Amino acid sequence: MAKHETPFLDQLESGPWPSFVSDLKQQAEVRAKNEAGVEFQIPVDCVEDLLGVVELSYKHGRTHWKHGGIVGVFGYGGGVIGRYCDQPKLFPGVEHFHTMRVAQPCGKYYTTDYLRSLTKLWDLRGSGITNMHGATGDIIFLGTTTPQLEEVFYELTHNLNQDLGGSGSNLRTPADCLGSSRCEYACYDSNALCHFLTNEYQDELHRPAFPYKFKFKFDACPNGCVASIARSDMSFIGTWKDDIKIDQDAVAKYIANDEAYPANAGAFRGSRDWGPFDINKEVINLCPTKCMWMEGDELKIDNSNCTRCMHCINTMPRALKIGDERGLSILVGAKAPILDGAQMGSLLVPFVEVNPDDDYAAITEIIESIWDWWMEEGKNRERLGELIMRQGFQKLLEVTGIEAQPQHVAYPRTNPYIFWKEDEVEGGWERDVVEYRKHHLR
Amino acid sequence: MAFISSGYNPDKPMENRITDIGPRKYDEFYPEVIKKNKGKWSHHEILEPGVLVHVAESGDEIYTVRVGGARLMSTTHINEICEIADKHCDGHLRFTTRNNIEFMVDSKDKVEPLKNDLKSRKFAGGSFKFPIGGTGAGVTNIVHTQGWIHCHTPATDASGTVKATMDELFADFQDQRLPAQLRVSMACCLNMCGAVHCSDIAILGYHRKPPMIDHEYLDKLCEIPLAVSACPTAAIKPAKVTLEDGTEVKSVDVKNERCMFCGNCYTMCPSLPLADTEGDGIVLMAGGKVSNRISDPKFSKVVVAFLPNEMPRWPSMTDAIHKMVNAYSNGANKYERLGDWADRIGWEKFFEVCELDFTHHLIDDFRQQAYMSWRQSTQFKF
Amino acid sequence: MSDLLNDTAAAEKLVVDFLTKKSKNKSKFYIKDFYKLFPDDKPRMIKKVINKMVEHEILEFWSSGSTTMYGLKGAGKQAASEGED
Repeated sequence: MAKHETPFLDQLESGPWPSFVSDLKQQAEVRAKNEAGVEFQIPVDCVEDLLGVVELSYKHGRTHWKHGGIVGVFGYGGGVIGRYCDQPKLFPGVEHFHTMRVAQPCGKYYTTDYLRSLTKLWDLRGSGITNMHGATGDIIFLGTTTPQLEEVFYELTHNLNQDLGGSGSNLRTPADCLGSSRCEYACYDSNALCHFLTNEYQDELHRPAFPYKFKFKFDACPNGCVASIARSDMSFIGTWKDDIKIDQDAVAKYIANDEAYPANAGAFRGSRDWGPFDINKEVINLCPTKCMWMEGDELKIDNSNCTRCMHCINTMPRALKIGDERGLSILVGAKAPILDGAQMGSLLVPFVEVNPDDDYAAITEIIESIWDWWMEEGKNRERLGELIMRQGFQKLLEVTGIEAQPQHVAYPRTNPYIFWKEDEVEGGWERDVVEYRKHHLR
Repeated sequence: MAFISSGYNPDKPMENRITDIGPRKYDEFYPEVIKKNKGKWSHHEILEPGVLVHVAESGDEIYTVRVGGARLMSTTHINEICEIADKHCDGHLRFTTRNNIEFMVDSKDKVEPLKNDLKSRKFAGGSFKFPIGGTGAGVTNIVHTQGWIHCHTPATDASGTVKATMDELFADFQDQRLPAQLRVSMACCLNMCGAVHCSDIAILGYHRKPPMIDHEYLDKLCEIPLAVSACPTAAIKPAKVTLEDGTEVKSVDVKNERCMFCGNCYTMCPSLPLADTEGDGIVLMAGGKVSNRISDPKFSKVVVAFLPNEMPRWPSMTDAIHKMVNAYSNGANKYERLGDWADRIGWEKFFEVCELDFTHHLIDDFRQQAYMSWRQSTQFKF
Repeated sequence: MSDLLNDTAAAEKLVVDFLTKKSKNKSKFYIKDFYKLFPDDKPRMIKKVINKMVEHEILEFWSSGSTTMYGLKGAGKQAASEGED
């Protein structure tokens, strides 16, 4: 028998998509029965009360949570978000119901042993409700009381070799795509780079140093599966410099509509029949730079005009492969619209090698020069992208020591209002007006 | 319940403290075949919606069955995922960026038993626990935020709007009939702690009323300078207010017409609550993408300025989404993303074919970039 | 690092004095607010000292979730209003 009636939420149990309501109800029941004999450290009926408070929100059309800023684990400025219910008498089980962010492993691979160690800990010391995963990438533990925060942290660090993630004005937990672990498009090992930088910058991740949040995300190719270009202050996107590798026999198989060579690796295998694959219509004519053509049976690519958009490779993955001279591009300043409007990442470094042997020195050098500038000049709650807007892209080039190049712009400026600096103009700005007047009467 | 100590001593927090150890290392968790073939993959193929094979240069294969899931997940559910992974996948699994779960096996004969097992599992309420799909030219899982389950400034629920939308789009989660992939994202307020601004379709919670001011308690619960500085549009000023009983208290004044309804003041000051039954609801955006494929990444555009919160299933919202997906499916060319299709046919046509109303709210008037979106051309369609 | 920042006791006193003086109006400050106390030092060094003061239980954090602020331990109205006093 449920503790609270939930007529609104009950209507979210039907339909095919996995119902979070059914899952919460199942969890409430498992806790109530407690067949595993867990000595619950927070109220056993907290999930019942969670259902109750969410039902009340469905009735009111308003949230019933309050923010809390004080709670955390000692010495860390992030990783915990305080939450309190604004109806604690009705729902005492969730009166204090804080979130903990647990740093996820790069690539989000898990063993069941490890996941079970997490669920065991969270059943004992929390609600047993999680997000797999939060928007930034962390494993989210949803709902525990203040005294349990340190206990969870102690167990994570001592028994599970596992740290918390970031929140607040910190480096946020970096996140990556699965990269070369299981993807042939990967131009670098995103798992390795993400893991290295996450560990390299643990101090920045846990102890606030910045004017605002700062996000790294790692996409191993321009397909951008973790959306780094849209949502990270520094976006690391894999790319290559040399030629796309072509297997002409495989090209022929695609053209012949061979069963084993489906268009776009089978992405269109569904209820619609798009007709036979047509290389002209589906690849050559859709190439954004029109740098591909057929010469007899041979597919040709003018690689000097290729912008590596991935379309041809995605469409014929068995025939076309990324080049061998691989690295990544760094784009900076992406953010969601709050406050001055959304910003996409802007290209800062067209190509840098990804070299684990020197601890990615070329990359960390750029990161640290940007941080030094932003920490010094950034206003409170100003994202990197907004600082770049305020002080100019040229300033960004100056602080990172990067030469301006046409790759930096979609097109050159459309106004001539260049604020020339004195040292850029021959003879400087000090002039002799007396000499001038000898030739120009007053 | 007796308190069980982990070993932590609250009187000496630094004693034996372990910090700054980061996440677990990824390769502890790789399945064997991944470990062996990392960086040496030849190609992949989607065999059917939700089922992939990756082939290594060595000839090794790894078969992946992708299933959807609510990102709000109980330990009971995670334990069941573990049980499945133990039974079929040597105790390994992974999650995708979009909250899908991937079960991987190292040979083809293991795929059918895994699929059958996944398909057979349902919640007591009748929904699938592990629906297979989310690949290729279809709809994949929605990334979203907390909503009423845990956030203090949401303008709508996240899990509920997502459940209602995915029920509506379920056939396309399990099919690959669309012209290209279609990414739906959800954020429950304009702060977008889940960035949704570059999605094919974005569901966004939005407040429309400035905060209420609880004058009597404000100075007791809040530090006024912090509430003032929390406002990104400088709409909040300190003020002296006389209560009904004649007492004068320190409080704040909100310049309502400057308020952008972000809720940042409520975060700093619990005496400035924002949520409102009629004021809060849904904005729909469309046409964004993050991939560099064919065209540049682009922002989503606001296509529905406001829909009321209709609990528990938001029918006006799912109806508008349904209309967009259908019009896109019927009108776009193969490989064309929703935003590229809308750009090609023109946004005036987009509203026509999606049967959505165009209102003055959809014309940008926010700061500099507004001008960029007005039409500076005589080329348009009637 | 300047002599001032290097002298832990002096640096901590400067920060505490600054916060005590301001505490009538508000109790929480951004990291940038401390920069002007140490004009000769880089933000990265200042941040290390300020964060050490948290470990020494002189300061504590307050987080909005998106930003983190610093205040004297126990100062301000947040502890009472959040029921964590």
